[in-house]
Amino acid sequence: MTLPRLKPQTRAPKEPQARPLGASFPTPACATCPAAASLAPLGADDGRVADYVVALAGNPNTGKSTLFNRLTGLRQHTGNWPGKTVTRAEGAFEFNGKRYRVVDLPGTYSLLSTSEDEEVARNFILFGRPDAVIITVDATALERNLNLVLQILEITDKAIVAVNMMDEARRKGLDIDTRALARDLGVPAVPIVARTGEGVSRLLQTLEALVKGEIRTHPRRVQGSEVFQQALQTLMAEVEALLPGLPSARWVALRLLDGDPRIIEALRSGELHALAQGQATQTRVQVPSTRINGDMERLLAVPGPQAPGWQTPDAATQARIEALLRKAEELRRGLGPAWQDAVVEALYAEAERIARRVVHRQGQPRRYDWDQVLDRLLTSPVTGLPVLMLMLGVVFWITIQGANVPSELLARALFWLEARGAALFEALGLPWWLTGFLWHGVYRGLAWVVSVMLPPMAIFFPLFTFMEDLGLLPRIAFNLDWLFRKAGAHGKQALTMAMGFGCNAAGVVATRIIDSPRERLIAILTNTFVPCNGRYPTLIMLATVFIAAQFPPAYASFVAALAVIVTILLGIFFTLLVSWGLSRTVLKGLPSAFTLELPPYRRPNFLQILYTSFIERTIFVLRRAMATAAPAGGVIWLLANITVGGQSLAWHIAGFLDPLGRLMGLDGVILLAYIIAIPANEIVVPTMIMVYQNASMMIELDSLQALRDLLVGQAGWTLLTAANLMLFAILHNPCATTILTIYKETGSKKWAAFGALMPLGLGIVVTILVATVVRLLGYG
Amino acid sequence: MTFALWLLMAGVLLLVLWPRHGLWARWKAWRAARQRILIEDALKSILEYTLDHRTDPSPEALAGLLHLPLARAQALVDLLAARGLVERRAGRVHLTDAGRDWAVHILRAHRLWERYLHDHAGWPLDQVHPQAHRLEHRLSPTAAQRLYEALGYPATDPHGDPIPPSQGEIPQPSTTPLTDWPVGQPARIAHLEDEPAMAYQQLLACGLQVGQQVQVLERTPERVVLLREDGEECRLAPGVAANVHVVPAEAHERRMPPDVLPLNQLPDDAEAEVVAIDPAVQGLARRRLLDLGFTPGARVRVYLRAMFGDPRAYLVRGTRIALREEQAARIWVRPLPTAPSPNTLNDEGASPHDATPAQTPNPRP
Ligand SMILES: Nc1nc2c(ncn2[C@@H]2O[C@H](COP(=O)(O)OP(=O)(O)OP(=O)(O)O)[C@@H](O)[C@H]2O)c(=O)[nH]1
Ligand SMILES: [Mg+2]
Repeated sequence: MTLPRLKPQTRAPKEPQARPLGASFPTPACATCPAAASLAPLGADDGRVADYVVALAGNPNTGKSTLFNRLTGLRQHTGNWPGKTVTRAEGAFEFNGKRYRVVDLPGTYSLLSTSEDEEVARNFILFGRPDAVIITVDATALERNLNLVLQILEITDKAIVAVNMMDEARRKGLDIDTRALARDLGVPAVPIVARTGEGVSRLLQTLEALVKGEIRTHPRRVQGSEVFQQALQTLMAEVEALLPGLPSARWVALRLLDGDPRIIEALRSGELHALAQGQATQTRVQVPSTRINGDMERLLAVPGPQAPGWQTPDAATQARIEALLRKAEELRRGLGPAWQDAVVEALYAEAERIARRVVHRQGQPRRYDWDQVLDRLLTSPVTGLPVLMLMLGVVFWITIQGANVPSELLARALFWLEARGAALFEALGLPWWLTGFLWHGVYRGLAWVVSVMLPPMAIFFPLFTFMEDLGLLPRIAFNLDWLFRKAGAHGKQALTMAMGFGCNAAGVVATRIIDSPRERLIAILTNTFVPCNGRYPTLIMLATVFIAAQFPPAYASFVAALAVIVTILLGIFFTLLVSWGLSRTVLKGLPSAFTLELPPYRRPNFLQILYTSFIERTIFVLRRAMATAAPAGGVIWLLANITVGGQSLAWHIAGFLDPLGRLMGLDGVILLAYIIAIPANEIVVPTMIMVYQNASMMIELDSLQALRDLLVGQAGWTLLTAANLMLFAILHNPCATTILTIYKETGSKKWAAFGALMPLGLGIVVTILVATVVRLLGYG
Repeated sequence: MTFALWLLMAGVLLLVLWPRHGLWARWKAWRAARQRILIEDALKSILEYTLDHRTDPSPEALAGLLHLPLARAQALVDLLAARGLVERRAGRVHLTDAGRDWAVHILRAHRLWERYLHDHAGWPLDQVHPQAHRLEHRLSPTAAQRLYEALGYPATDPHGDPIPPSQGEIPQPSTTPLTDWPVGQPARIAHLEDEPAMAYQQLLACGLQVGQQVQVLERTPERVVLLREDGEECRLAPGVAANVHVVPAEAHERRMPPDVLPLNQLPDDAEAEVVAIDPAVQGLARRRLLDLGFTPGARVRVYLRAMFGDPRAYLVRGTRIALREEQAARIWVRPLPTAPSPNTLNDEGASPHDATPAQTPNPRP
């Protein structure tokens, strides 16, 4: 903790003497001043009434979530790519004895378009009536960020500009005159480094002064052309006449002039009237459960808010509202076609002017631009693909190598405990079925998940987060966009697939970064072809036990990594193929626009990665294992020990599924395992092992060799079984959580069912084809 | 046995006669829907004819428009007249006020659906018409108004036909078919007739778009040669060229300076200044580009080309923004002389203020 605080000190002599107090970087002393001492993060909002509500707004990837985490002590996920936060996040903190509720809004470039994330952000700023809006801006790209700042200042005057990433600006030799910025914008501006906490105490003091009304702000309002001003004034007068006391009448008039459907709806439903009477109509951020349906009719059928918390206007008011809307339409027609362009141009012109006054370049920039070197390497047609493959290879090689030893150790320890526990129960004279159910069922299910699945997950995840923080994901999306375009899909689908590596449900939610409903639906439906955290340990196990075992031990882990990568490439191939098929049949259409910001590479924050991805992941996996593996273990034990007609239930079911399984090059037990594993894919391998194990006499199973003996020797697996199982691992129905998420995101049972059955059908067909061809060729 | 037979017969009867969901009820509902579609199509055709020819259609013309035998068209006109939707005036079919309102609604619904299918559902241009034709009959006036608002009050459909506003007259821009347009005069495409489909496909294959600027290079009885604004030539049969309707290009558009080129043709590592976003880009796509900082006067530099050659990333206002080729093709830029900076590699950001403030051009007077 001492390191970051030293930084300002070493810089102190370089700072201009004349810099007034109001905008200097915090001196080291201030880190321990009373202000900082009295910040008490309160974590997740516990629902107690807060004294003040604060919204965090800003461009994507400017450190809103990082600042949010610093204030609330929460661990909201951050990542070096635009669009990381798509769901709402709320938290709270206490400062000088007052409670603040903080809302982390999705990042947007503008508030003028009618895309969903922009709507969420500006609806909260307008209808939520926050006591203050903290606008985070990236100090290294001030001009671009000011465009949004100016737009937010049109809506609210209770704003603070937090100039973030000051460390990067300094490194680039940029000097930001925050005092001039504050003067130009008419609201306070505070330099901070959200990552280290530098300047945050000053920010909080400013915030306190603002919410208490000690600071008077005069936000900058951008003027436009003469005609535009006139139209706006006319409409604004009418808005004020209809809604006296409305806090943002100018902005509402601007939106009505623009024909913003959400504001029109708010006007018709009486929400704006309520707002004018001082009622906050949105106390929480409303992330619309997105209604993506190919047919617009569903969208149209969605009525306004059910039973709103405000009065609906009476007939006379309604007539006035309609008259106002007609007036707006008339004025809009009078403005001609290009006026909306002119509004944006005026905003950027103003942003340019302010940035020119505020940003000064100091000294020489760095000699060598590593960003560009790395970018060239990653995107060149010659080196791009090999480097990407190499990175993927290294990640999986580390995962496989690293997971080996802990896996064995864990297995040994946990199964030793099982034997002891069972022995103890027997010694106590407890009935055999209790011992069996608890130790050989529930406990063993858990032990398998922890020993086989946990180590690879806990190693892969930090590595992945490392790449995410470095800024590699947008480059991958950038590179692969061409392929996705050919498939009729969106390049950002690659980003959502990358999220799918962590968890397919998270990948499905991440598709919100795709604007076009059609392309978003494609991304949702195909996300399951990326093996998630709960599935690639299966791939790793199969690759190690079967495929790598055919090679000398020295190469084994390379071969295993290669096999896993090939499977993942197959998954990507099927993603593209299915996307292509969908965009030519049920989701017919042309690719829409693609815009993606490539952020600078950033040094990942090792400590935080270790915490968020290693510890948090482990806890997450353990919790999920408790919830799914333990009951599944119990079920398997029951299936294996309840006998009907002299045979166990498991034997009956597996026997029933066996013909289909054989046809697919698998067997009945594997299919049974996949059925039991619908709640969570982590338990596929443990289930298989337990069913086989119960059928055999082999109880001790503590090494990979023993596992191989069980699967090959007793269950009769061949290389074909393993290969087809790897195929089936990427081509089958998503887990229950993911299906539920698909349902929530699409709002349609039809799409949820399709999302579950399409991959399953594809998996069955593909494995049958492979098995048949292999058998015809005489192998297998 | 007989009991089972009775049961079966009762079941069949129920299946047929069940109110609202029985086969009989369904058949009747289907018939009614068919008839409504026929009526609505007729009303729309009459309106379109009236708008195009500034006179009412004769029953013969109507029969031709609806592909019906004359006798059935006459019967249809009688039906419409009985419902008070049309009246016969001097042997022609004239819309009454009620008929006209209904017709305007259908026309509006059709064009709104086309806009929606093209802009939001991403349908190919040549397929939106048949689909919109199916959907137009299932949109109530209130729903049409919501669609109109949700789409951001579009003025025209993707073929350039005006969408009737909620109130008032349908704006009818006066356009000229390309076959009557003087050779050499710059013109802007205002409308591409989407019927017959074969001709429309040829127009699309030729790369023509509503909003594009064109020039007639040559006109003979065999062919019409066009020059598109991006410098490509295209040849059309006169019959096909008659389906292109143009308006005079506005004064400021005519002088597209010779040193301006689309962003996708800017060489790697070159720097340029944005001149305009093509008028063919409208709606959300236009807003997005503007929001990202591609406003006139902004400086851009090609930063990076993706592995497969497309998309490319551009430095604009201090950030790297990736765009696909066809999007970049819609941004007009003017290349700037390469700055005499010794370390171009290092010059973070193309924002004018932090690199070379003295050279910043002032794009807007
Ligand atoms: N160097 C530096 N990096 C920072 C700072 N603040 C945040 N970052 C990094 O910037 C990246 C983006 O941070 P986030 O907090 O996820 O940004 P966000 O604004 O929430 O982004 P979205 O959710 O996509 O809108 C992460 O990699 C952070 O580690 C800072 O003050 N200095
Ligand atoms: Mg965030």
